[in-house]
Amino acid sequence: MLWRQIKNIVFTVFCSGSVLLLAAALLFFLVPMIWKGSQAVFFRKTVEFDKMQMELFRRGHPAVLEKITAQTNQARQPALALLDHFSRGVDTTLLSKEARSAYQQFGRHLRYREVSDEEYTRLREEAKDIRDAFLKAVETTDKTEAESFLDLVDAQQNNPSFQDSPFRIVFSLSKDYRQILQDIDLSRRSEYAAELDIVKTEMRKLFGPLPGESVPPLAQDRFGATRWDVAQKHLRYLIYQTKWVPSEQEDHRLIARQIRRDDPEEGIFGKTELAPLFSMVEQNLAAMLQPRPTIYWQYFLDDSTAGHYFGGAGPEILGTLLLTVLSMCFAVPLGVLSAAYLVEYAADGIITRVIRTCINTLAGVPSIVYGLFGLAFFVLMVGKPCILSASLTLGLLVLPVIIRASEEAIRAVPQSYKEASLALGAGKFRTFLTVTLPAAGPGILTGIILSLSRAAGETAPILFAGAVALGPIPNVGLHPKWLFQPTRALSYGCYDITVGDRLAMQVPHNQFGMVMTLILLVLLLNLAAIFLRWRMSRKLQGI
Amino acid sequence: MERLSPQSEPRQPGPIRLAEPDAKPEIQQTVRPERIIIQAKDFSFYYGSKTGVEKITMDIEAGSVTAIIGPSGCGKSTFLRCINRMNDLIPNTQADGLLTVNGQNVYDKNTNLVNLRQQVGMVFQKPNPFAKSIYDNVAYGPRLQGIRRRSDLDAIVEQCLRDAALWEEVKEDLSKSALALSGGQQQRLCIARTLANKPKVILMDEPCSALDPLATARIEELIASLKGTYTIVIVTHNMQQAARVSDRTAFFCLGKLIEYGRTDVLFTNPAKKETEDYITGRFG
Repeated sequence: MLWRQIKNIVFTVFCSGSVLLLAAALLFFLVPMIWKGSQAVFFRKTVEFDKMQMELFRRGHPAVLEKITAQTNQARQPALALLDHFSRGVDTTLLSKEARSAYQQFGRHLRYREVSDEEYTRLREEAKDIRDAFLKAVETTDKTEAESFLDLVDAQQNNPSFQDSPFRIVFSLSKDYRQILQDIDLSRRSEYAAELDIVKTEMRKLFGPLPGESVPPLAQDRFGATRWDVAQKHLRYLIYQTKWVPSEQEDHRLIARQIRRDDPEEGIFGKTELAPLFSMVEQNLAAMLQPRPTIYWQYFLDDSTAGHYFGGAGPEILGTLLLTVLSMCFAVPLGVLSAAYLVEYAADGIITRVIRTCINTLAGVPSIVYGLFGLAFFVLMVGKPCILSASLTLGLLVLPVIIRASEEAIRAVPQSYKEASLALGAGKFRTFLTVTLPAAGPGILTGIILSLSRAAGETAPILFAGAVALGPIPNVGLHPKWLFQPTRALSYGCYDITVGDRLAMQVPHNQFGMVMTLILLVLLLNLAAIFLRWRMSRKLQGI
Repeated sequence: MERLSPQSEPRQPGPIRLAEPDAKPEIQQTVRPERIIIQAKDFSFYYGSKTGVEKITMDIEAGSVTAIIGPSGCGKSTFLRCINRMNDLIPNTQADGLLTVNGQNVYDKNTNLVNLRQQVGMVFQKPNPFAKSIYDNVAYGPRLQGIRRRSDLDAIVEQCLRDAALWEEVKEDLSKSALALSGGQQQRLCIARTLANKPKVILMDEPCSALDPLATARIEELIASLKGTYTIVIVTHNMQQAARVSDRTAFFCLGKLIEYGRTDVLFTNPAKKETEDYITGRFG
């Protein structure tokens, strides 16, 4: 008696435990995924987001945007000016370029003034000397040498020949450079240049192209941080540098240390003119970007820029819906009719048993095999990877599931229902159509629900058969041309972003957004089918 | 009640295994030959190698109610389901001998099953209305026959529901699902559905076994009211019911017809010992 009770308890605990484990695993997996994915829709946008929306999607009010842009530009101005000034000292190409262009303009200026040839040659020679002295001062890494060259330049500062001419800019450049020399360790200039590159990149990521730069060709480089979380990330990258130092323990391993770039002792820019930039950006980032909470519901409609950097998952959702619905259009009639044949018409012989075994085996074939079959058969048949071949492949994938479920459902219809119809003089086919099929409806729908989720979520079958990461949005209409275009799809999009070149790291919100969209879409399709089934069985029960 | 002809017509059944092996079954065939609608002559039916019924010979008179009684597994239902060939659904079956309905051989190769089943309706043990509205249930048969006009269908539905004594209870909402009705109502609906085909014969396979006494009483009243217009063959386990509703009763045992005759005679003065044992409850 006691033993039986113990067995009972063990059984109960084991069963409920496994159910709980499953539920917990689902929660553990789904909740973070949906939480992260929801950040594609709910986040704090910055002014850069508004700019992007205006430029790419023609959305927003130009006047409001202009006002905010002016405010943020004003806030960014000191930091950008500081960066510009400092980079002149480090990135000497800019200075020498300006000096050279001043010299050329001076020539043109002299021609314009119509001075005599001797005068022209003399002044040109003089200017050339000054220019060369400046270039040497800029190029050298020895501070005293540079200063002596600058002295040569400055000596000519009050030369009346260069007053009111374009060449006088060289003297102001020289003055600037002399000031820069005070703060900068010329011997470390190449080191500065490398770090400055990183700083500039991060500044571009934060605020878009720096003043004076041309518009980048890629949309993803045209705007700064459109989201506050991304801005915070880039702020961190801007402020901290990673330094590898030997561990203090015996093993001499290197450990990474995060050091502020403006740290007075260790930071590379600690003792330079650039040092205030970092705290300036850190403290005024909110004013520079003006973050505001937003609900970007257009995520589910918008097209995206290349690589899903900006924009939404609209074409992917459309593509997944098209593929799913089309594959169901192929698989459901075929599956239900096959099941009806197997149950109602085929005699239970060796052939039916072989067919049944084949169907069961097909249901377990890995999806990549279906993908390769789709490539080898449908794609070659249609001529190219497209929506038609992809949905045919998906239809084939879910066909065994639908046949199995429909078979069970049709078999489960009570014999008395069929007898009632037959006894009234109805034929076999009519009985199936008017009595058996409606009664088996809920069961068949269960199979359809299962296969819907599978068709919507599978990547491998459409990998070769018609899914693309970038491409035109199918123009769904009466003309069947769209059937012969490839399409984007959520499942393939998730895969593509994940394996894409550093993309997942840069736009995790879009990656998880797509995953969340897929989960929600499957959930929605399931709910619709479950609702339909509920209505149907209610009708069957006569409530 | 009709008058029964006095002369009895002895038949040739197979040997009886229970007792008195040589004895002929007592057949009080009081059926008038000109009114015979269902006729079985040495009719046997086999499920593969198993015998369902063996050498049944009996005539059923048009417009009468015939009850078939007997212990479980004696072949009552098998015989009943042979009359409109519902046994065709079971694979590996075989019929032997002669079974005619209205002069037409049921197991002939050329028999039109649709016509046969429209002529010979059937009511099943468990009420099995379709998961459709009451109206659609009754109109199912007429629609099969090609009647499409709404006014014709309306008339048929109302008439059949009235004939099945269900009209007063459901006339308010004919679009209600048939499955929302009570068990007794569902069974009457099934009868109405059968009536809509205008059959000559209605076979009832234990129509009251799933119903409570009140619903049973209503079905019995209905059978009494349908008598004369339709020929009814009813299989029942309930001997009181057989005695109440039927004109003639056939007693089956182990696939054979033991005794067939007027109900009052069979129940009060059975000719065979098996019959007596069964109806008195000593056997079966």
